[in-house]
Amino acid sequence: MHNRSINLEIGDGGKNACYTIPIGPTHPALKEPIRFLFDLEGEQIVGVDIKPGFAHRGIEYMGMRRNLIQTLYLSERICGICSISHPLAFTQAVENAAGIEVPPRAQYIRTIIGELERIHSHLLWAGVGAHELGFDTLLHLTWNVREKCMDLLEQLTGNRVDYAIPIFGGVRRDIPAEKAPLAYQALDYYKGLLQQMIDAFLHDKSVEMRTRNIGALTYDDAVNLCAAGPVARAAGVPKDVRQDMPYLAYADMDIKAITPADYDGKEAVGDVFDNIVVRLLEVAQSIEIIEFCLENLPEGEITSIPKVPALLAALKKADGEGIGRHEAPRGEVFHYVRLVEGQDEMAAWKVKAPTYSNLMSWVPKFMGDEVADIPIIAASIDPCMCCMDRVHIVDEKGQHSIRVKEELIQLSRAKTRRMMTR
Amino acid sequence: MNPDTILSSFKSALGGKVLEDRKIERTVGTKTPRSVYDLWLVVDRDTLHAAVEHLVAEFNPHLSVISGEDIGDGVALNYHFTSGWGEQYGEVTFSIRCVVPKSDLRIPTICDILPGAQTAEREKKEFYGIEVVGIPDDRNLFLPEDMTIHPWRNDLEEETKKSVKRLVKWEERDA
Repeated sequence: MHNRSINLEIGDGGKNACYTIPIGPTHPALKEPIRFLFDLEGEQIVGVDIKPGFAHRGIEYMGMRRNLIQTLYLSERICGICSISHPLAFTQAVENAAGIEVPPRAQYIRTIIGELERIHSHLLWAGVGAHELGFDTLLHLTWNVREKCMDLLEQLTGNRVDYAIPIFGGVRRDIPAEKAPLAYQALDYYKGLLQQMIDAFLHDKSVEMRTRNIGALTYDDAVNLCAAGPVARAAGVPKDVRQDMPYLAYADMDIKAITPADYDGKEAVGDVFDNIVVRLLEVAQSIEIIEFCLENLPEGEITSIPKVPALLAALKKADGEGIGRHEAPRGEVFHYVRLVEGQDEMAAWKVKAPTYSNLMSWVPKFMGDEVADIPIIAASIDPCMCCMDRVHIVDEKGQHSIRVKEELIQLSRAKTRRMMTR
Repeated sequence: MNPDTILSSFKSALGGKVLEDRKIERTVGTKTPRSVYDLWLVVDRDTLHAAVEHLVAEFNPHLSVISGEDIGDGVALNYHFTSGWGEQYGEVTFSIRCVVPKSDLRIPTICDILPGAQTAEREKKEFYGIEVVGIPDDRNLFLPEDMTIHPWRNDLEEETKKSVKRLVKWEERDA
């Protein structure tokens, strides 16, 4: 049994800290706003306080006042990058609550789109991670190759994001046989590129220096803080919904959670480097899963209740509660739904996104590292990130100055240069 | 993880304090169908801490989230755990439900047993106005720090609407 005790004290309450710097609410590394309050001793982080919620839109509140099909569209807009992960978990929760069957072909189509989302999400993350380290060539390479996946999604579903594929009891669009060659072509493209990506990220001296032992998370902390997804797996916790409690087409496959040991056989550190390892290897895993689904795509219907009025009527009759889970690119998405007979809207809806689970893991990851590492550690949790607008530094005399995004990135890059010349 | 082992372990550890238990079997897989299980347990508020303690000591759980529902004279909380991760088909979901009456909205924290529960507990505190007794940090998390209304409470809906309208007016936009 591992150690359950954990020190979540924020430093020493800032008693010995020289500086407290707030970063955000405009976010340092994510495109969504969040505020960090760092206690620093010199360059070293000795405490951090995290305040999310600046983009809380009350989606659950809205969902409990609309009918289920309207809420399905809403669930698709919880996240732009995970725009199929939330509907996948939500439809499963409602189907479990209402006892609606999903035809096998629809299960496979859902899986294919879900895995394509993982490929583009992980590549997006890898590119931004490279950018934070000052490796913009790699950013442009990863984002260029990501486009192939976005193009394929557009060809299969009509949209680059918000694919509108799942509906209760199936999917809204088929993948016809003539589209399969496009998918195979894209998969071959990624297979050819994967070793190149692994070389660029994992065999690069400067990437390794800036990410090894930076933002480390121990196995025990990952378990105790209920971390999810690649963050937990990078810390050596073999937790993956697709493996642990299979659903959709994953139930027909032999899926194994990827941990850093799969790369070099070494013990996981849970640092930024391990996060890169896990995400890159998962791209390879997703390619295999999509190939399996295309080769074994069952014939038949794509939805069990094709007419929307009949579907709404069936949902209105349903009474019960259900859980839907999906392993999104960033970790477990969890939806709880309670339906009451005779009522169009849900009686209860709880949405849990992966970052919700990983929020608390940020604290041990930041501890002991330097200001220049903040961008890459913040980024290591979540692939969905964009800009760091400004940092407002207040010293103990109350004097403050504004550090803009460019200055922080310069700090990060200067650290890379310093380490290169050592 | 065998679902029956978990249920019987709970019943022997907590005795008559398990008010209700259900095992829901679901079939997954299109080629060779297999079963996965959702377990539901109802306990009262005073037993919640002991139930989670037993779960953590015996089954190494992961807390996914705590969901809530306004049921009129009380708030029902579901603590959604999963247990048995690490092997294929090894996991079951395990939800512990307990009802907190609106006349006395208090619940003991489980952060002392599972520190990762803090995010979910702080969220329930601000959205339902439930006092989480013993929580290390009880500030609002997702809502503004000075916000005192509880948007997921049906009986306080008018207050929530008023607050939203006030914000809209402040932003000089149409309601």
